Amino acid sequence: MPIEFFKKTLDPVIALSAIAVLDIFLFLQVGAWTVGGGETMMTGLIAQVFMGEELQRLPFWNLVFEPDPTYWKIYISLGMLFGAFVGAVLSKEFYIRFPRRLSEWVMITIGGLLMGIGIRLAFVCNVSTFFGMGPEMNMGGYLAMSGILAGAWVGSMVYKRILEG
Amino acid sequence: MSAIGQCLIAFIFGSIVGLLVQRSRFCNTAALRDAILFKTYRNTKALLVAMIILTLGFTAFLTIGEGNPMHFDVGLNTFAGLFIFGVGMVLAGACTVSTWVKTGEGNVGALWALLFTFVGMFLFSLLWSANYWPPAPASMTGEPNLEALQLGYANAATLQEKLGIPAIVFGMIQAGVLFLIYRAIRRKEEAQAERHRQATASATMAQPAE
Repeated sequence: MPIEFFKKTLDPVIALSAIAVLDIFLFLQVGAWTVGGGETMMTGLIAQVFMGEELQRLPFWNLVFEPDPTYWKIYISLGMLFGAFVGAVLSKEFYIRFPRRLSEWVMITIGGLLMGIGIRLAFVCNVSTFFGMGPEMNMGGYLAMSGILAGAWVGSMVYKRILEG
Repeated sequence: MSAIGQCLIAFIFGSIVGLLVQRSRFCNTAALRDAILFKTYRNTKALLVAMIILTLGFTAFLTIGEGNPMHFDVGLNTFAGLFIFGVGMVLAGACTVSTWVKTGEGNVGALWALLFTFVGMFLFSLLWSANYWPPAPASMTGEPNLEALQLGYANAATLQEKLGIPAIVFGMIQAGVLFLIYRAIRRKEEAQAERHRQATASATMAQPAE
């Protein structure tokens, strides 16, 4: 790979076009790009470590997501973490950074919780919405896109209020 | 394909995606938030181009019965869930992709968001185990179930089956609509750039000569 690749920022249109072509290949092999399903399975696997057999008493982890470490969607997320780490190290952009203000920690915590609850309620995440269901012209894609646009608008208004103090 | 083969393909795909997203600074949250708040469209245009390519690609393969489309019923929960998600991603400043990518860059805030996404999912599993809504995949029928606020299952392939029109035709219509949105954004950007040029030129002319 040319060294220039790690020096300049890549045009996102080029990056996303390449990802789209790869996503079509993935769609033919196993299914379209998704992140939420893999994250849920990871949640189940982590919960199993802490709770053991107790986890089976929660019907969700029997009927919807039975913990399985060979669930392929997990490895998309782990791959993204690995790819980003390699990219950041080779471009000398890797460094440990922390949110500075308490308000940032609070917003990230609430935001993370809402993302997790939202993904499970909908059965889809933003990636499945825009890179799976939407392009498959699934009815759920239009519901999900309407929902995320409305949510992003409300979130942006809240964010603006916080920025303005 | 074996489970190990699927996991391997998924990992290779994810690694390339992680690298490309890290190098391009693409962010799905920014694609929506920046368009709404700041009227800038760097990420929005990339998202639209990807959706155009994917729509044509997916529907072309669905036309000939190939591919593995997502298969589950949708309903009110789909809208409500993504609404909650949309609020959350703007507050957290990251979506499902950027939490992983930023964590890979050493961003502890993104890792924190990721951990609380897991916590949110676990909390939802407690709630679901008490009320069993939305219906579990095994009990989905593909048909509308208004009692459970479910609309069923439909995509370009089911439209082809019902109407006898190839899925790619619907795909071309959707791609056309996405292209019109992309073109409108480009025109808006060009108008913004033109206004900026004019403002710079008049500011230069207004400066007194020495």
